[in-house]
Formats: sequence, structure tokens, C-alpha cells
Amino acid sequence: MAHVTNNNDENVTDGNKSGQTQETEIPSIPQVTTALKPKAKKAPELPVNERRNWLIHLHYVQKDFETCKVLIKEQLTESGGMCEYAVYVQALIHRQEGKIQESLELFQTCTLLNPNSGENLKQVARSLFLLARHKAAIDVYNEASNINPKDWEISHNLGVCYMYLRDKAKAKECFKQAIDIRRHDVSYVMLGKLYLMEGDLNSAVDICKNAVEFYPESPDLLTTLGLLYMQIGQYQKAFENLGNALTFNPQHTKAIMAAGSMMQGHCDWDVALTKYRIAAVNTPENPSLWNNIGMCFFGKKKYVAAISCLKRANYLAPFDWKILYNLGLVHLSMQQFASAFHFLSAAINFKPKMAQLFMLLAVALTNLEDVDNAKQAYEQAISLDNKDPSIPMNYAVLLYNNGERRAASKYLSIFTQNIKSVPNVDQELLDMASKLGPLLQVGDNLVWKDQGKEKHSSASIANKPDPVTNKPDPVAAPFTRPTTSSAVEAEIPPTPDILTEQTLPSDLLMGASSDTANTKLSRTQTDMSEFPQVSDTHLSKPTTLDPLPKIESGKPSQLPILEQSSSNVPVSTELKMSPLSDL
Amino acid sequence: MTSKWLDAYHDPVASLYTFTQCLTLADIQADGDWKLIIADLGTGSYDMKLKVYKNTNLMSEHAIIDLPTGVVNFYMDTLEPRTPAIAVASGPYIYIYKNLRPYFKFTLPPLSINQIEQELWEQAKHDNINVFVLRDALEGLRSDGQLLTVRSLKFLQLESTDLEAFANLHKHAPLKRQTVITCLDTLKKSLADEDAISCLVVGTENKSIYILDPEAFTVLTTVDLPSIPVFISVNGLYDVEYRLVVSCRNGCIYTLKRGSKEGSKYCIELNSQPVGMERINKTIYVGCMDETLQCYSSKGKKLWTIKLPTSITTMKTLDYSPRQLKTLLVALSNNEIHMYKDKYLVDVIKTEGVVTGLQFGRFGREDGTLVMTTRGGGLFVKILKRSAKFEEKDALAGPPISQNQKINIPKKTKLFVDQTLRERQNAVAMHRTFQRDLYLLRLNTARQYVKALDNSMNPISSDPTEPLKLSAQIQGIGPTFKLTVNLQNTSLSQPTSNLIITFNYDDKLYSFRNKFIEAPMLVPGLNYAFETFIDCLNEKGVSDNVKVYVLKSGRSVPIITGVISMPVSEAVAVA
Repeated sequence: MAHVTNNNDENVTDGNKSGQTQETEIPSIPQVTTALKPKAKKAPELPVNERRNWLIHLHYVQKDFETCKVLIKEQLTESGGMCEYAVYVQALIHRQEGKIQESLELFQTCTLLNPNSGENLKQVARSLFLLARHKAAIDVYNEASNINPKDWEISHNLGVCYMYLRDKAKAKECFKQAIDIRRHDVSYVMLGKLYLMEGDLNSAVDICKNAVEFYPESPDLLTTLGLLYMQIGQYQKAFENLGNALTFNPQHTKAIMAAGSMMQGHCDWDVALTKYRIAAVNTPENPSLWNNIGMCFFGKKKYVAAISCLKRANYLAPFDWKILYNLGLVHLSMQQFASAFHFLSAAINFKPKMAQLFMLLAVALTNLEDVDNAKQAYEQAISLDNKDPSIPMNYAVLLYNNGERRAASKYLSIFTQNIKSVPNVDQELLDMASKLGPLLQVGDNLVWKDQGKEKHSSASIANKPDPVTNKPDPVAAPFTRPTTSSAVEAEIPPTPDILTEQTLPSDLLMGASSDTANTKLSRTQTDMSEFPQVSDTHLSKPTTLDPLPKIESGKPSQLPILEQSSSNVPVSTELKMSPLSDL
Repeated sequence: MTSKWLDAYHDPVASLYTFTQCLTLADIQADGDWKLIIADLGTGSYDMKLKVYKNTNLMSEHAIIDLPTGVVNFYMDTLEPRTPAIAVASGPYIYIYKNLRPYFKFTLPPLSINQIEQELWEQAKHDNINVFVLRDALEGLRSDGQLLTVRSLKFLQLESTDLEAFANLHKHAPLKRQTVITCLDTLKKSLADEDAISCLVVGTENKSIYILDPEAFTVLTTVDLPSIPVFISVNGLYDVEYRLVVSCRNGCIYTLKRGSKEGSKYCIELNSQPVGMERINKTIYVGCMDETLQCYSSKGKKLWTIKLPTSITTMKTLDYSPRQLKTLLVALSNNEIHMYKDKYLVDVIKTEGVVTGLQFGRFGREDGTLVMTTRGGGLFVKILKRSAKFEEKDALAGPPISQNQKINIPKKTKLFVDQTLRERQNAVAMHRTFQRDLYLLRLNTARQYVKALDNSMNPISSDPTEPLKLSAQIQGIGPTFKLTVNLQNTSLSQPTSNLIITFNYDDKLYSFRNKFIEAPMLVPGLNYAFETFIDCLNEKGVSDNVKVYVLKSGRSVPIITGVISMPVSEAVAVA
């Protein structure tokens, strides 16, 4: 038996009362204490309220919430609800389980138990914030910052609250303060977002640059910076940062998407596709990914694969106009004009202010021999965007083919005006203009004001052998009038007129509009909304019905969907189906 | 991949409730046969035991009075043979065992007591103030935010009838305020030898760290922290230079050096609560609740972060000196243990439960032994194979595997191609047919709508003076059905009266027992149900529509109409 030494007096007294309970359990320690006779009446040891805090904490961090709750209950029973930390953890668990209101009440209990704790106030504020009571949260945070004046968390969260209250100046101030206290990457990201909301891209870039200096290996920050550079048009730097991000995390889907879309911009279809393979494994249900893959195949002229991928993308995100736009484009180049028309008008329903969509629609309508509506669509496109040279060019071609030379030359002159303000004009457009110009008997540098010359030229055409006759009628050429279904032909008036249109019940749904052009176009829009996609039956849809993978966290700037598909690709393809071949 | 581990012991029902902190391996009998010492939390409220395993057999058991917080072994003297002592932290005490016998009990120094509180109890002791005055005074102190003793806190919770008895029972004992140990570690005192004397390092609930002298059991150093310590990692020598890395409940990690009294100088603020913290050489590894493993330099600079597949339960350093191997073991809640060498995952061990206790070291006569305890109470021992090699796979070199996988592009059938060709040839016709049909469809819809409006065929009244809503239900499987007509007045304030409900049906098929229902006055907002039975007369499984009309007496055009599609009578169908 060991000798027990009692070094200080405390142990003697301690040993006494513990001895009473120990006797049955540990035979050895009582031997010590029995030597000291207990006093006549000894008060029972009161357990410390906090005695199980460490255990509660341990279970909490291990996410063993069930055991944790049992422990908390025991602890609270034992201490009569006075154990602050137990209440605190219970509140945290409630929050984790989504019971924000309950957690708020418990945190408020904590502040009652210990009014001097800034931590408790911070949690109360956090709960208020989660309940979207931002003003109340700000009040409590301010109270907490009186207790803990230099706290990064308080400053940061205050900033977030102000951001939600749209008080950008104060939010900025708070984030800057937070960064001064401690350089957390979240504060940088939020501050960057704030600048982005204000449209101050350069400041956002600066903030991101600072953040990257402090966290040089964070793929998230590098990607964000890369995307920002993309937005301000510094593609070289954007690519560098995205490349760095991919070095640190080659599986970073967002960086892959952004880098891939840049490669697509440079027509590096195969490299982009290789990168997309990684993303396809990580996020197989990302509609943007399938859109980009589809456009890669389109670039490689694998049209069937392109349509497959785009249709999958459309299945995953049916309301994304960009996918519909690309589908329309691919179908146009496949000469599936009826399908193209449906996709394009569906896209117009989601994005009614986009001139290029109307232009493509007009091209589709031209090929569907609906010249009236095509003209309306062109006019709508021009009214939405009078800078794009391709719209007046295409319109001029249509008008010319339709025999309206005067109007054609008017739009050709608009085209020549437009190309002056646009830096990089597609060569195909210029070629077209130079071909169309002589046909209309006007010089390349014709100015619309020159009325007399125009009249003269139109007169002279009559004398010359008509150039139009030399070539097949461009619109009619691919289709020998729908004679095959002559029975149908008899019954169907070529898409009903505007006047009859207004009496039709579609106006009940659309709301009649006085402007004729609008009405006509709005008709084409409504058409689409209920249209079952022709080839949908053949589309092998992905079988999984899981919710979409989380896409870029709501930052509008960061959707790395193909922007360039809307600028470069359509122009060229579009012209191929207009009278390029014919001239 | 063959496993790098041998299974040495396997007991899924050892009924252990313990954690990494409560496991240790020590040569407590100085015979070269290392024992496993486990402080078992029992049920969590009683039956706490200190268990010693010799080669997987339970060698001895000692009861512990309160929940054990941590167990360490350390050399407290220079006597031969070199037998280490075991220290078990529990509540405010540290129990020291030597040669498997209780040897000494150390109590943490009591905390300072509020002067006023002390005086109040002193007064109460001499019956100078009565219990109610005492209670009010204490309550005042508490609401000022003063930290009171447990006795006062308990006293404040009592019913007024119990105050007297409680005060009488306790007032003679000296008032004291105690704290609780939250973590425990050792620190070599002046020599770095394997069997050199070590100090105990104790973290407590009152945000302090104490370093205790192993021979005299006095407090050598006290450091105050901004928060309550949870995990401690110690290295260095007490007499020369040492460094304590302490992770706290506020989610911060503080680094303390010899001589520093305040812990807030070097501080790492984490975004999430740490679940485990280990120090290998000069880097600090922290596993966080947000399923990340983070690495910091000793200066507090973040080096890298790894996202783990699931949440961490505990962490432990693997220090295998024969192979100069130092890696980090991270137990995850998906029944796996991941082994990291720097930032590279070098091994994955599958386990039979969620591991909550991990210890690596010498056990028995085997150097590389991994002891695991699970949440379910199991105890597992694995031995590291001597042939095992852990290669750092450089995850950054070369493209990820997924880059070589083909993209799964949906296939298209020949039908698709045929349809494409068909569309190319007939696009205009298809378009026009579609447009025409669409207009016809719309026209038809509009006509039907107008017709419905004209005939009051719709179940919601279009008449603004009689805003009514009708719904009907058929119950039963036949040949007798029950029809329930629900009528609701949807106006805000106007009651409706003089309504009649009647039916239109094929009298060869159905017979209504009640063909005419007079509705009472309808109060706005309430739902009125009217019932009638219908008998199906046809036995050939034919069904028809039945119309419900709601009429205003004196008008022949119904206000609203409901069309009910009758089900096929079941009895008839069977027959």
C-alpha cells in the first residue's frame, strides 16, 4: 500500500468529504481520510455548475448532438438552469438544426445569466441576423462592440447587416474596419462583392488583389479575382489568376468553367473540353457546364453532340435564356428553322430586351418564309440596338431579296454608319456589304442623305439585266414552295395577320398592345410558351432527378456561361444562312 | 492496395466511453511491457473507471469519483526502477497513481471569492442577517455580473421555505469557489530525455493554465487566457524554453511562451470550432467543425486548408521513431481514419465505427501500435506493418484522374437524324401547321371560356352580386355513392340567401335520393356542405357526368355549375 503524503491543508478537508462517497468504491484513498475523523456535521459538496462543460463542448465539436443534448439536460437539471455554457451550446445546436427562433431565445437567456459577455451578445445578434431582423441585429452588435471593442467578427457581421439594409457606405466602413483588425478572406470577399454591387469593378479588383496577397493559395479568391479581370476585359490577367487557382486546386469547378470559357473564346475547343471533363465528374448536373460543352462541339462542327449537350443543359436549367439562345443558333446552322424559331422565341420570352435574339428570330422567320414577321423582328432588333452592324446588314439583305431595294439601301447605309463606330467588324459582314453595294447600285461609302443618287440607281437597274434573276431567289431556293402539302397550303393563311391576331384569345393572355410591331412579336412569344419541343422525344434526358448542383453562389458576375457565343458565333453563322451563298 | 496495418485486437463491445484525451500508453511497471491506460467515463454520470490493459487483457480497474477529463503518464521522480506515474484529471482534482495504486490527490487552488459575498456569508454564519436579506444581497451581486460561488448560486435558486435549512447546513463550512479542469498535458522539466521528470500542464474552466511542479505539487506558473482552453499542445522544457499552443472555446488558438503572462499575443482566429489540434515540428494542424483540416505556422500564418469528405471526430499525431515517420491521424465520422503527411493523404484506415479515441505508440512490446475506441464503445488495436511505406503522392503533379474520363454525352438515335432531315425539308410546312393549330387551339379555348361564362358553367361565380364557390366530392365505391356539395360565400360581408341546389343527370343511369336541396342563408367565409346519396342503376360499368346547379330562386340561369365525373360503380364492375 502506498504512502500518501498530504502536502497542503486543503487536501485534508477535500479528502474528508470525498471520503464519504468513496468508501465503497476506492478502498485505497479512504484509508487516508479515515485517519482524519470527519467533523460532526459536514455540509455536502456542491457540484460546480460548470463541471461538465468540457464534455458538452467535446460532444458538440464532434457533432454528436444527441449525446450533447442529453448531457445538457442533465447539467441544466443539476444546476437549476444556471449553467450558462450548457444553455449556450443548446442554442448552438438549435441553430444547427435550423430552429433559429428557439436558439435566439436561449441566447437571450445566456445574456441574462451573464450580462457581461460579448460572446453571448454576438450570438444573439447572429440569430437576429439569421431571422433577417438586421436592424435589431445591428443594435445588439453595437452593444457587443462596447464590451469587445476590437472584434473582427462584430465589424464583419455589422457590415453584412448593413449590406442587407442597402446601406453600402456604412457596410464598406465596417468591412474595412474588420480587415484592419484581422485580415480574414471573408471580409475581403464581402467588400469585393459590395464594390461589385456598386459597379466599381476596379475597386473590387484592388480588394481582391489585396486578399490574394494575404491568401496566395486560396483557389476561391484567385478564381474571384480572375472573374473580375474577365469582367473588366483584362483577359491575360484573368487567365493567369484562373491558372493559378487551378494549380492549387485542379478540381475547382468554378475556375475550370471560367478558364474553359476563355479557351472557347480562343477557339481552343479540345483543350476546353479536356478541362470540362474534370468539371463533368465533379458537377455532372451543372447546366452552364453542359452549355459550354455543347458550344465546344458546335465549334468543332459536331452538331449532333452539340444539340445533345445543349438539350441536357436546357433540361437542367429550362429558364436559362443563354442555353435557349445557343440551341436556337445551333438549329439555325443545322437548317432546322422551325425548331430554331421555337428555341429563339422561348429565349425572347426570358430576355425580351436583347436585339441579337430578335435578329436570329428574324433569320429563322425569313427561312420559314414569313417575311412580314421577319421584318417586324428586324425592326424590333434595330430599335433595341442601333449599334450592332449585323442587324441592318441582314435586314438589308432580306429587303433586297424581297425586291425592296430602296429600303435595303437605307439599311445598308445604316450598316456603313455603324461599322465606323465598331472596332472589329467581322470580315464576312464587310464582304457581304461590298457584294450588296454594287447590286443596289450604291457605293460602299454611300451616305443615306444622298437621295438623288439612290433614285437614279434604282431607275437604272431596270434598264440593266436584272441581277436578281441571275441568282436563285435566296429564300425560296432551299424550299421548293410547300407544294408537297398543297392541301395544307389551301387552308393555312401564311401566319395570320396582325388584325385577326388581335381578336384572337391569345390577347387575353398577353394583354393587347397598341403597337403593331409589338403585338406581332408578342404573338410569336406567346406561341412558344406552350410549345412542346419537336425533337424532345429523342432527347435522352439524364435520368437523375436530383436538384441542381449548387451553382455559382448567386453572384451574377460569375456565371461563366459563354458570353462570346452571343457576339461572335451568331454573326457568322447567321450570314451563312442569309444570302451569302446566293450573291 | 494492401493494408499497411495488422489487426491485433478487436472488441466491438468493450463498452468504453472515452476520448483521445483519456487514452495513454505507458510502461507503468518498468518491465518493458507497455500498458494501455483508459479513463472510462462509464455511463457519463456514474461507473467511471480507470482501466489498465496489458496486452489487450484488462489488468486492473480503479473507480474514479467524477468524470475523468484527461489522463497522462509522466515521471515524477528519479527513483529506480523508472516507473511513470499516471495523472487523471477529474473535476478540480488531479489523482496521481503510482504502481497502479492511488498515490496523491491534488486540488486546484481555489479561486478568489467576491469580498462582499464572503462577508455576507460571514454575517449569516453568526446569524447577524437573516436569510432573506442574504438572498437579496446575493441577488444584487449576481445581477451586477459578479461571479459567485456555487453555494450562493444554489441558494438563490431555492424556494424561500428552504433557504433557512440550506443556510444552516452550509454556513459553517468555509466558502470556496472551485473550477474544473478542462485539459491536461505534460511538459518536461529540465531534461529532454524519454524518462525525464515532467511538469503537469492543466487548463481550467476559469480560463487559466497552470503548470505544476511534479515533486512538490505547487503551481509553478499561471497564465490567464481570453477564453476557456480545450486542447493543449506542449513542447520544450520548462526550465529552458517552452511553447504552449492552446485552442480555446472561442475558436481561437493562442501560443504561449515561457515568461508570457497573457496569451493573446499570438492568436489564430478560426472560422469554426476546433475538433482537434496537433503540433508536428513547427506547424500546427487544426481540424475544424466545418470539415476542414487547416495548417498554420507557429507564427499563426495559414499555410493550407484541406476540405475533408465529412466531419472530424478526433485527431492524433503518429510519431513512429524507428522510421522517422511523423504524420497526422484524423478520425472522421464516416468510419475512416485519414493519415496525412503534410498536406498529402497517405493512407486511409477503415474502422468499424466512428472513432472518438485515438492513440499511437508503443503497446506491449510493439512500437507502432494504433489504439482506437469508437463512439459505440468498441476497442480496436492495429499494428503498423514494418514493411509499410507511406509515399507522399504529390497530388498537384499531373492532371487529376477525372480528366481522363470521357464526357458522358447523351446518344442520339437514327430517328433523331431522320426527324432532323424531315424538318430540314419541311420546315415551312411544319411551322405553318403548328401556328395554325395553335391558333385553332386558342380560338377553341376562348370559345369554350366564353361559353362557360355565358352558361355559368364554371364552379366559381362570375356574378359580382353572388360571389360563390362550389366544390363537390363523390365518396363510395358504388352502387350507392355519397355526393357532398360544398358551397362557400366568398364575399367579404354580404350574406347570400334563397339558393337552391339541383342536379342534372341521366335518369336511366342514376337515381338521386335528394334531387332538390334548399340552401340556408350563407354567411360569408363559411363552408357549407350538402349531401345526397346517388344510386347507380346501370350494371354495365357505364358512368356519366352529373351536373350540379346552384340557382337563385326565381331565375332559370344557374349562378354556378359544377360538373362531376362519376366513377364506375364498383359492385357492377365486379359483377
